[in-house]
Amino acid sequence: MDSSANTDDRAPLPDYSEDGVDLSLIRWSISLTPLERLQFLEDRINEILAIRELNART
Amino acid sequence: MPERKVIATLRSLCERDIQFVLVGGLAAVLNGAPVDTYDVDVVHSREPANIERLLSFLQEIDAVFRIQPERRLRPTASHLAGGGHLNLITSLGPIDLLGTIGPGLSFSDLLPLSHEMAISEGMRIRVLNLETLISIKEQLASEKDLAVLPILRQTLRELKKSRSV
Repeated sequence: MDSSANTDDRAPLPDYSEDGVDLSLIRWSISLTPLERLQFLEDRINEILAIRELNART
Repeated sequence: MPERKVIATLRSLCERDIQFVLVGGLAAVLNGAPVDTYDVDVVHSREPANIERLLSFLQEIDAVFRIQPERRLRPTASHLAGGGHLNLITSLGPIDLLGTIGPGLSFSDLLPLSHEMAISEGMRIRVLNLETLISIKEQLASEKDLAVLPILRQTLRELKKSRSV
């Protein structure tokens, strides 16, 4: 029985690629449905714009 | 500042039977890439009937060119029939209508390089493939395009891994 193969199977996936990309964020995004991806983006854009507007007034 | 209504924009385009391929940042997002974008980029069919439907929709959402918005310059059918890029601001947020992208790729060129994606009941949109999006950004090679490439490439790798499981 090849014990090293079993060890590799259980090894956690890296969180970051060698060039510094957050792979955990990509896996999370892939786990969403297309509509959920759009809803998250839309909510986030509107929240950021609201914060910017609030700070522009103060 | 008016809310960005990305989903409403896409739904409206579908409901009006406007033929387009979604490209740019939103195509990246729909393909699973965790990137931010503020506008809706589409390559539209330049068939006369499609231009008519699109122009009618643009009038409905009060579209004007983003450059010098105070002049309230409105896109015309001849603008939409050309191969250039129309950067517009509308009541639903910014929309970029692109006659062609990359090395002159038009709507019909992009059909085999895109896939139809179900977003919700009755809402199906054609989205540019991640492979093509990466290839176009590699060719454009602007600072903005190069910055997002590592995320797009890693997303493609993760998608291939998840499909092979």
